[in-house]
Amino acid sequence: MNLTYAQLLETNNLIQQNTDETYWLCLTRTVQESKLFPVSPYMILSYFMAFYRYPTLLRKIETHMRAEEIGDRVRSRGIKCQNPAMGWGLPNFYLLGRQYLISMGLIRPQDAVDDIIYVLDFWKRFQLAWHRNDAHMTNREFGHRAQILPERRLQIFHADMYDCAEGDPLHTAAQAFMAATSQYGFLVSCESRIALHNQGPYKLDDEREMIVRDFMDLAEGDYPWLDGVAADVPYNNLTVPMAVKGCHFNIIDDWGSFESQPEFKSHHMVGVGLYTSDCLSDTYLPVGMESREELTHTFEMLTQKAKDATGRLWKRIAGWTRDQMIDAGAIVYFSICKDIAHVAGCYDSADWMLIDERAERFRPLLNDEYGNLSLYEILGPLSHPAQRGHDYQLAQHANIPANTYSLIPYSILDDADYTRTCGELKPGITYLEPKQDRYRTTQGVLSLAEYNRRVKAFTPSLCGEKYRYKCESWLKYHHDTPLADEMYRIEQVASRRLKDCGAGLKRADIEKLRD
Amino acid sequence: MAKLYGDTDKFGEQNSTPVVEAFHTAVRDLVRRKFVESGQSWSEFVFGAAQQVITQSEFAAIDARLLDYGHRYVWSAVVSQEERPEAYLPGQTAGEDLSNFSFEHPDAITALPDAQGLELRGVGDNVVKYATDLIGTARYVRSSATVLAYLNSGVPPGTIAVIDDSGGTLTAPILEQFTGVLCAGGTVRSHLGILTREYGIPCFMNARISGLKEGDTVRLETTAVAKTAEAYQKGVEMTGRVWRVNKPA
Repeated sequence: MNLTYAQLLETNNLIQQNTDETYWLCLTRTVQESKLFPVSPYMILSYFMAFYRYPTLLRKIETHMRAEEIGDRVRSRGIKCQNPAMGWGLPNFYLLGRQYLISMGLIRPQDAVDDIIYVLDFWKRFQLAWHRNDAHMTNREFGHRAQILPERRLQIFHADMYDCAEGDPLHTAAQAFMAATSQYGFLVSCESRIALHNQGPYKLDDEREMIVRDFMDLAEGDYPWLDGVAADVPYNNLTVPMAVKGCHFNIIDDWGSFESQPEFKSHHMVGVGLYTSDCLSDTYLPVGMESREELTHTFEMLTQKAKDATGRLWKRIAGWTRDQMIDAGAIVYFSICKDIAHVAGCYDSADWMLIDERAERFRPLLNDEYGNLSLYEILGPLSHPAQRGHDYQLAQHANIPANTYSLIPYSILDDADYTRTCGELKPGITYLEPKQDRYRTTQGVLSLAEYNRRVKAFTPSLCGEKYRYKCESWLKYHHDTPLADEMYRIEQVASRRLKDCGAGLKRADIEKLRD
Repeated sequence: MAKLYGDTDKFGEQNSTPVVEAFHTAVRDLVRRKFVESGQSWSEFVFGAAQQVITQSEFAAIDARLLDYGHRYVWSAVVSQEERPEAYLPGQTAGEDLSNFSFEHPDAITALPDAQGLELRGVGDNVVKYATDLIGTARYVRSSATVLAYLNSGVPPGTIAVIDDSGGTLTAPILEQFTGVLCAGGTVRSHLGILTREYGIPCFMNARISGLKEGDTVRLETTAVAKTAEAYQKGVEMTGRVWRVNKPA
């Protein structure tokens, strides 16, 4: 690849966008710590893994499917290709690994330049496709909002949703489900929030908004530590469209978490639905949606499953060694974007569930104190020497002369003093039990080979060439055509209220059709 | 000695914390030494020989050197201190006696009991504003052993868990049984804050408290305004008060 000035300009802009947002997210959103997991040590290990492995793994994925096609395919499903994974995790884990290595003198800002350009270009193309309906690249760019879904899917969520009010059985069951499943998600993800995602808000009327809440990687699947303990968790991914009244979601950030004005409380929730999806489902599949009573009982059943699995998993984790905890946490973080390999039908456990031997070297440095302080320095005061800039500089949000990430120097266009790549995939290790060959999907429990085979043979109906570019802009002017009607009917096939209703309805019509 | 690229950094000086500075200085020294020994150009070295000659045992030696100087690491995960007590500062033990323990924040705002017997013991960041304040019994939850004990016996009714872990995993199997949570770390956006909001459990994060003992009756001002992201960003104080409830004199 011959480097161009334009390429470097764009890549540095993408790096800088991540600098700006990462500082804001870390300042306002969290302090991550745990007395159970050595969180900072595993996070840093995952960053090294991302630096050494993402370029090769992303290139491998694109030999099967282009990033923008993956983005198109995952728009209508609640799998781990959402904001925490792709919007923020993919670029920032890679860039944090790079920044640590620069700080330690192990690489220069102009090392692995082809890798940097490629990883960020992959990210950009995926994000633009995934965000196609709101035409942004990130939630940040959209003022912390994400309107990913097309009208035809939103109409189904709206039409099939059941109203609820605080104190009624459905409200109680739905609230308990979201609390228990959030908690289970944090435990599955070794104290990180990456099992959870919210998108929206979508406007239902002048008083009500809807957000779409995803709970992902809940069943036996990619993570070895869920083998057995999650055997009776019946769905790997669950999605809850949730309507609220009396509060506005003013922030849906690139970690997929929300903030509202006034702060969201359970009594604001006035409507819910429940769906599942994965790489083998055509779109979202309704779960327990035939009646209000069935949905209530389904939430109650799933809540109990989540609580039981939480208890079993907690006991398993409480018996782990520190190395096992670090492995699990680092693997969860590093593999945050693994589902793009599932979508492409090329997922390999050895790619995503092992600690790369180049990253493994650093383990002796990763005590709790170094982990906490170096992470604090790199994300808070930006006080790693390589992060500091000239004295006139005022960083966005931070107002200090520093940036989270080093830019690529343009001087390499003059002197060609740079390196292209960190190299091919190297072997990995783990202290965890090996993964059993069981993967819960919407087509049952499959072996990985069978899972990949079925995915390779499957194209979601609305992602075929006939429909792929029939976007919301096209539908605006062609809603009365047979082709538009066909697309809506495909999406509506499992809808309780909208089956065969076609493309002609507007939001007010949907409201009249509701239970 | 060879110069590394970062050695001519005009603006960067050193890391702001001693352990990070010590480790990174040692790693950079190691890289310089191995680079010179390789006899290669940087471009040949960086993703070639460097990955063979800069090894895990070299990093282990850096860790050992700092310990030899007498440094002991501050621990955050209990397992770290338990597995390697010689490398970490002393920590709590599984059988820790909590009867006389209390969190002691240096900035805790305290006051003598008022006429109603309310004794101010500090403040915290309220996660969600409720219609009434919360009264319950303070019980420290600081270890897996305590969680396991409550998992087996059940959490006593009315428990306000006093926790120094803002994560969502340590207390995962018993969190739902708490009446309230008083957490000495984190922010309202920390995982524990998110989960208590989902469960509808009143919670203060970032609690700066002093003198609360196991079994004390405690009152949280959960009627206080919830702290916002903007308040964190601008450094604005927005807190609820924490009182010990004494019998009126």
